[in-house]
Amino acid sequence: MPSLALRDLQASFWRSLHSGTADPGLTGVVLPTPSLEPAARVDIYQGMYFWRLHEVLREDYPKTHEALGGEFETLARDYLVAHPSEHPSVRHLGARLPDFVENHAVARTRPWLAELARLERARVDVFDAPDATPLAATDLRAVPPEAWADLRLGLIPALDVLPSAWPVHEVWAAPTEQPAPRPVVLRVWRHDFVVFHAAMDAIEADAFSAVRAGSPFGDVCEAVAAHVASETAPAEAGALLVRWIEDGLVARAGLT
Amino acid sequence: MAISVPYLGHGVGLRPRHYPAILADGLRADWFEAISENYMLRGGRPLHVLERVRAERPIVLHGVSLSLGATDPLNAAYLTELRALADRFAPAWVSDHLCWGSYGKHYAHDLLPLPYTDEALDHVVGRVEQVQDALGRQIVVENVSSYVEFTHSTMPEWEFLAAVAARADCGILLDVNNVYVSAMNHGFDAERYLAGIPLGRVAQIHLAGHTDNGTHLLDTHDHPVRDEVWDLYRSAVARFGRVSTLVEWDDRIPPFEDLLAESERARAAETETLAHAVARTA
Repeated sequence: MPSLALRDLQASFWRSLHSGTADPGLTGVVLPTPSLEPAARVDIYQGMYFWRLHEVLREDYPKTHEALGGEFETLARDYLVAHPSEHPSVRHLGARLPDFVENHAVARTRPWLAELARLERARVDVFDAPDATPLAATDLRAVPPEAWADLRLGLIPALDVLPSAWPVHEVWAAPTEQPAPRPVVLRVWRHDFVVFHAAMDAIEADAFSAVRAGSPFGDVCEAVAAHVASETAPAEAGALLVRWIEDGLVARAGLT
Repeated sequence: MAISVPYLGHGVGLRPRHYPAILADGLRADWFEAISENYMLRGGRPLHVLERVRAERPIVLHGVSLSLGATDPLNAAYLTELRALADRFAPAWVSDHLCWGSYGKHYAHDLLPLPYTDEALDHVVGRVEQVQDALGRQIVVENVSSYVEFTHSTMPEWEFLAAVAARADCGILLDVNNVYVSAMNHGFDAERYLAGIPLGRVAQIHLAGHTDNGTHLLDTHDHPVRDEVWDLYRSAVARFGRVSTLVEWDDRIPPFEDLLAESERARAAETETLAHAVARTA
């Protein structure tokens, strides 16, 4: 009977799964059944390999899948050849899909597709980011008025900010419609174990950028003042802070 | 030598789709099985739910990516994460599969079959011992469904599994559906398989549904348990006595009520089988 050392058997088996073509070294050591030749038995594993991982990618990228329809399968096949899993958890399988989409044929008629995939990836990453307890508005009542300019806000870890040349939040809501290009900045975050995303206007985007940079609240007000009359800037910045707290984005506030 | 684990009764898999039902209606299964890799996370809802469940029920950790039979070094980072998870949640036991699933730096995310040879046996025994050393506990190893048999296998699967358990001093997770699926696919006698598994080693039993593809059976976990598998389960209970039993359902997942009903069916089959055994010996 033909034989293969364990290492060689596994090399041949892996090549068969990865390439989708049954390796002769493997089929040479597989017994037939009355109804299945060796290659047909190996094909059972090839089918399970692809469709299981296709399902993982479809679950992580449901909107990209919806936008592509049947072409998603082609994308998944090409992706799995280029980027087979390198991690014990399937959670990481699709990490490189947004960059891969950018240079794939499916994006030629959909220049926004990689950005949509980036939003979906950010949602996956935020889903299991470290926990933090958000501040409540009442936690800030003790801050004396004269201390506000020096106050620094710390944000929750389950948060990402995505600038895009396309309104990807609108594409996410209606993936089969073609958008017109328009720059947006999205924030993606988790609150009470649910993942959200929202577009920020230019004022909020600049103010939020100052917060993320660790700047004191006085600088946040200045970022707002670049867009509105200087006398209304503190009130506008205060309104933004209320919104961020309601959304569960702020984890700390302190003077250091 | 044997494996010493508690009898937990009848459990179900902890799946995200059932989180709301499990948390809302109380924890109505005796115990829960969590897929280890799905909780190797930095934060978020799954860990929160597992903490809630663990506060009230026993859990076991069931892995799919240990890749016991692979020929690359064990993944040290994975073992560290698994140990941290086990230290945090104190599972009744930790299990994974008698298979391989990685080659080089790549993971197939499938439970791939081993040839049943002396070379593979020596290799797997050494790997189980390494894992047990790294985790500081005995592990429990599950038989998988398979769709190929190798020309150079020199022993039947049950002999291989029994030898791994004896030589590495680990437990066995006997998946009765996998025994049935492989028996049909390879033409061996499922009852003969059970007879080849030693008493005192079986820590847990898995039940699940499979799909008949005509030329072969596929272990799909997307159906109720089939009658033939219930019959084999009764045989297993008659041979091994009361063993913690869990119904797996991973695709086309039914409402939690239906899963619980399937678990209760297992409890009834176990009770009935044990009563018959007592009646026979009385």
